[in-house]
Amino acid sequence: MIEPPTTQPTSGYRTKSNQNWMRVFNVVGPFLALTAVVLFFAIADGWMNGEKATFLTGRNLMTISSQTATVAVAALGMTVIIIAGGIDLSAGTAIALCATVLAWSLKEDLGPRWFANETTASVAKSITEAKGDLKQIEREIEALAGGEYNTTQVAAKLMAKSDAEETIRQHERRLTKLKSLSAAVAVGMSLGCGAFCGFVNGLLVSYLRVVPFIVTLGTMQLYLGLSKQVARETTVRPDRFSQVSDGLVDLLSVRADALWLGLPSGVWLTLLLAALLAAVLHWTVFSRYVFALGSNEATARLCGINVRWNKIAVYTLSGLFVGVGGVYQFSRLTVGNPTSGSGLELRIIAAVVIGGASLSGGRGSVLGTLLGALIMSVIANGCTMLGLQNPVQDMILGVIIVAAVALDQFRQRAVSRKP
Amino acid sequence: MTAQFWTACLLLLVPLGCGGAQPQPPPGRAERPDVIIPMGLLPGGQAETPVVPPKYTFAVIPKGTTHEFWKSVHAGAENAAKEFGDVKILWKGPLLENDRDGQISVVQDFVTKKVDGIILAPLDKQALVDAVKDAQAANIPVLIFDSALQDESLIVSYVATDNLKGGQLAGRQLGESMGGQGNVVMLRYNTGSESTEQREDGFLEAIKSGFPNIKVLSSNEYAGTTPESSLDKVTQILTKHKGEVNGIFAVCEPNAAGVLKALEESGLAGKVKFVAFDPNKELIQGMADGKVHGIVLQDPVTMGYESVKRLVAHLNGEKVEKRIGTGEYVATPENMATSEMDKLLKPQQFE
Repeated sequence: MIEPPTTQPTSGYRTKSNQNWMRVFNVVGPFLALTAVVLFFAIADGWMNGEKATFLTGRNLMTISSQTATVAVAALGMTVIIIAGGIDLSAGTAIALCATVLAWSLKEDLGPRWFANETTASVAKSITEAKGDLKQIEREIEALAGGEYNTTQVAAKLMAKSDAEETIRQHERRLTKLKSLSAAVAVGMSLGCGAFCGFVNGLLVSYLRVVPFIVTLGTMQLYLGLSKQVARETTVRPDRFSQVSDGLVDLLSVRADALWLGLPSGVWLTLLLAALLAAVLHWTVFSRYVFALGSNEATARLCGINVRWNKIAVYTLSGLFVGVGGVYQFSRLTVGNPTSGSGLELRIIAAVVIGGASLSGGRGSVLGTLLGALIMSVIANGCTMLGLQNPVQDMILGVIIVAAVALDQFRQRAVSRKP
Repeated sequence: MTAQFWTACLLLLVPLGCGGAQPQPPPGRAERPDVIIPMGLLPGGQAETPVVPPKYTFAVIPKGTTHEFWKSVHAGAENAAKEFGDVKILWKGPLLENDRDGQISVVQDFVTKKVDGIILAPLDKQALVDAVKDAQAANIPVLIFDSALQDESLIVSYVATDNLKGGQLAGRQLGESMGGQGNVVMLRYNTGSESTEQREDGFLEAIKSGFPNIKVLSSNEYAGTTPESSLDKVTQILTKHKGEVNGIFAVCEPNAAGVLKALEESGLAGKVKFVAFDPNKELIQGMADGKVHGIVLQDPVTMGYESVKRLVAHLNGEKVEKRIGTGEYVATPENMATSEMDKLLKPQQFE
């Protein structure tokens, strides 16, 4: 809702108690919603499946957290944009672009070729060869053991065997190093790509003076096209064993040995980023500018805030989170698919809105966004656990989103009515 | 006020949730007596001493849930579930047709739920490998249908159409109906879709090897996933190559629906030879009207049926073949009235 210019910007004129009430509400609203949804599914699961109920098990909650991470991390960036009164419809396809660029970088061995002047394929080949040699030596030893032999012959063969094993180990260590190097470069490219996408969005929004909805509607298609170009209109598949570092895949893996303190490391990273962002939004001057932009852009300009550059900064920052989202998407898929981001932007925006942010700008919270993203994954997971069909899942999600927006409107009216 | 509001939301959810659950109530133990055993449907040798068959819950995960094809697979799976007794089918696909991440989540959820077996049509041959490994680690057997998985050592069996052969059949049918002369257009489906890429390869191979006088005008255009996008693309191609196109191959059902519409709108229906892959109502009518000259058919009902059957066999300790073909057929204007083709053209669907 665009408020008429005569209305006073709300934040400056709120009473203290009113403000506190708002703050409590911001956190409690989404939290109550999450509790309600979790309780609903836990009870329904217990009722339908009895002893076989698995919804409230630790493993399931861990799985949910892993499934939420991609949307959650991108939604963190989107929160900043929405607080600043903007929106980014290109986030979904930008995530796919980042993931595709990452996959492409791994597949082309960019890291190893730039910094080690070597390719993973050549090392993988030497490993295969060394393994062949080892087999040959083992066969020879067996043949010796079968017939007449003298000890020096056997000793020589055994030496050769241990040498061969050592060579294999060396090559494998080399490959692991190369894979890590490749992964580091690829992750860097993904982050850079995300930041670049955000920067372009910011630039266009600031300098074209077109509403972000339309600008990002355009860049959404642009990034989709770019990722298809990078992928040459197919799926980019780096070799899972010789090119993809295990650390990259384990980021969001739910395998027991990939977890760190009970959760996938990617989930911890998301929480860390969320904490950092929350700190930025609470204690920096930049965050004051962001809230000011979202509350009333004209006033912000009159106050001497550099609207253009702050907008660019906001979109670029969000782009970084999109880049992390790209890393996460790759971690889950282990391939780069240009089309796998379409539709993701709506889930990202929904997470922010369910989390209590206002689409008219000026309000939003990091914790709320995380809870909003969680609510959606819990619904998806719970519906599978209960054996509910997709139409039901879609409808429940729809109801939740409408309820969240309705609540926002209701709250705005309640606030403006109070003195 | 907040609490009240969210309670209201919850109350809203409850009827929705129950409404969705009712169409497929969990088969309560009481409703399913052991009557099934005397019917002799169990593997031989057990008929004399009635043993309560193990109750299996299978998750069947298609690539999407809105195409008619999957509804037929679902019907086949339910047929088998009924035939083999106490098997319960949990049918759940990703929300969007192309959502690899969503499909991984669904597999993970069923692994957590500890179903007895998973029957999966992977959206991506590589992306789903790790999810299937998770299932294996949890001792849940996985059977793959429709599209392949990269690592075949992880799976019980692969039940599918031979898409390359299906594409070749389409090529031969189109070539023959064109009399071995003229120009053809092939419409691709979507980037990175394995099964349709195989059909496309098969088609081009058959045209190249069998019909030297047929020229491929266009084979690199992607028609997209919906009839609308396909209609737009075909209209553009027909305008670009005005008067030159003698034959069109559409590689899957949404594509074909768009092509048929485009041919009808440009007045070329019947003049341009047209072969489709997978049927729908309009295409069948089109074939009766002489606008469609061949439809390559798969057998989704058998696919669903065989998948459940083989997984039950595996759980009962029997040996299951690694690869099971479900056949591919060509319906032509001449043979479409036969009962065999009629059954494939209008496959059973899950209600």
